[in-house]
Amino acid sequence: MLGKSWKYTANAVGLSTVALVAAGAPGSAAAADDVLRIGAPLALTGGLADEGKKQEAVWQLWLDKVNDAGGIEVGGTTMQVEFVQYDYQTDGKRAGQLAEKLITDDEVDVLMAPFGSGHTKIVAAVAERYQVPLLACVASSVSVYDQGFQYLFGTLAPNTGMTESMTVYFKEQMPELEKVAVYGRDDVFPKAMATALANSASAAGLEVVYDQLYSVGTMDHSAAVSAIKAAEPDWVYMTGYTQDLILGRKQMEDLGVTAPIVTMVTGPAYREFTEGLGALAEGVTSSTWWHHATAYTGAIGPWSSTAAFYADFVETFEIDPDYVHGSCAAAADVLVHAVQQAGSTDNQAVRDALAETEVLTFYGSIDFGENGMNQGREMPIIQVQDEEIKVLYPAAIAGAEMKLVE
Amino acid sequence: MDILQIFVNGIVLGALYACIAVGFSLVWGVLNVINMLHGSFIILGGYLTFFAWFYLGLNPILVLPAVALLLYILGFALQYLFINKVVTAPVLTTLTLTFGLDMILYNLMTVYFTATPRRVTLDLGSIDLAGIVMPVDRLLGMGLALLLTGVLYLVMRGSTIGRAIVAVRMDRQAAALMGIRVNRIYAITFGIGALMAGAAGAVFAMVFPVTTNLTGVFLGKAFVICVIGGLGSVPGALVGGLALGVIESFAGFYLGPQHAITVGFLLMLILLVVRPTGLVGVKGYE
Repeated sequence: MLGKSWKYTANAVGLSTVALVAAGAPGSAAAADDVLRIGAPLALTGGLADEGKKQEAVWQLWLDKVNDAGGIEVGGTTMQVEFVQYDYQTDGKRAGQLAEKLITDDEVDVLMAPFGSGHTKIVAAVAERYQVPLLACVASSVSVYDQGFQYLFGTLAPNTGMTESMTVYFKEQMPELEKVAVYGRDDVFPKAMATALANSASAAGLEVVYDQLYSVGTMDHSAAVSAIKAAEPDWVYMTGYTQDLILGRKQMEDLGVTAPIVTMVTGPAYREFTEGLGALAEGVTSSTWWHHATAYTGAIGPWSSTAAFYADFVETFEIDPDYVHGSCAAAADVLVHAVQQAGSTDNQAVRDALAETEVLTFYGSIDFGENGMNQGREMPIIQVQDEEIKVLYPAAIAGAEMKLVE
Repeated sequence: MDILQIFVNGIVLGALYACIAVGFSLVWGVLNVINMLHGSFIILGGYLTFFAWFYLGLNPILVLPAVALLLYILGFALQYLFINKVVTAPVLTTLTLTFGLDMILYNLMTVYFTATPRRVTLDLGSIDLAGIVMPVDRLLGMGLALLLTGVLYLVMRGSTIGRAIVAVRMDRQAAALMGIRVNRIYAITFGIGALMAGAAGAVFAMVFPVTTNLTGVFLGKAFVICVIGGLGSVPGALVGGLALGVIESFAGFYLGPQHAITVGFLLMLILLVVRPTGLVGVKGYE
């Protein structure tokens, strides 16, 4: 398992070198008319490097696919597509500076946002100032989109929708479910999810017996896990990033928390979560925005179906794609579609075309709402079963029955 | 019973905290260098332990001496080749140098090891003693942390090198006049700091996920513990670590985990005002 991830890293490092060389080459195709230039500040080093490399890798796959097919047809002419990207080293302030550089120096036509709601918010402010369309593929907190930005569009659906369907589904699966403990990281996305779940659970008649946040930089969860144990919940819902969740799950086991449902958002959506936890990952549930078990066909872009994307991805990287890969590749599809609809790379025209987007991609339907967020998608609930990720919900793509944690 | 469980949680965590801080405190106290590399040293120790376990199937406890030795060599070399050149300059200069070296080490690890959290999945279970649950790997970690701290204390008190280090800490010029090769003592001290960080990393790999994301967190903890306990002394790091562990544990339970870290920093601020030497620090090293 580790071997694959090493290979994947090697691929990503290789791609990053190519991209940076391309970006750094003097006079590289500066704003040529027949090239669509997409700018992307990415976290290729630092704490979010793994996520940034996922974005980079899938865009390179997408780019090769598009350019190998001869480019894209826009208003009767054929355009090549080029990505210009820089490493912002997981430093939010630097992400903003590089977004500005991409717009002013590199004269990109559109921007792609980096990983996470926090950094997307920073880049969105820059894009708005220069009125350059920005596509966010890994930001799902409504607080990013409710600031009145006109040029920001996101392919993930609002994360609050996930908690309602999850509460209803778990109640169906375990009618005696009564008490839930919510423990969330005090950070944009994990906090939004924890708050949303506490509200959804209360609305569904569950008793929220523990509802606390932990600070960014928390090294240990003993105190919280001891308190959760004392509250005897039927369901523990924890949010955070992978290292928090791995540690949290381990400490639950060590300190004897025995809840039959353990949800860790969005742990199982990443293979590093299951790899890091081993047997302790068994039975952990989560929501995710996308899973490759979905089977959309007749999609726009280089991949006409989910299966076609999955096949290409697995052949290239030898691992399963996760929602970051899916959402970011779909964002590139939507972007090209908007440029084609606009008939040019004019900022205002592309922005207007994006606002009117209503298309089907291999990742699912994309229909940006008033605030720029993708609307109305049914998001899967997943569970780790026998070291694999199984889809439990929605029924149309479910591949397994839910199991309670033993 | 709750109170006892929280206290035990805090003590176990505190011993691990002490293990983080002892090397950092030594380097700061003796060299007057705020070693920004310390968090990355710990994580490097953790990675070396993880890889030895993952690829060679070696138990972290067996790997610990080798990891500690490697880190000692790395620390010695860095001090000898780079930091000694500016060690008498104002503290900001050495801080900037170690910050730069840390950037290099941190990013090398992120590029080659990735930031993906990795874990030594020993999962040794827990001991239940009259309702007080104690995870075996943490107890083991605590034992090792206390042992390492104890050994370092004895080395500092009883060995020629230890006395030379203390002499340099007290008066650099006088020590030089007594024939102590100060630059070599500096390199040895920095090496011991790195050795303790590497050993802490090996212990931590059994308990926490290893990821470069945690380097800053470890460094921050080391800072707070040093201020609470007092600089430059092994008992200071131990007392500071245990105090911080217990305080965070109680604050996390009664005030909520969101406030646990804040309470630690608050204690640090109070001590800076009322007792700048820390709880057991030596005057002149505040």
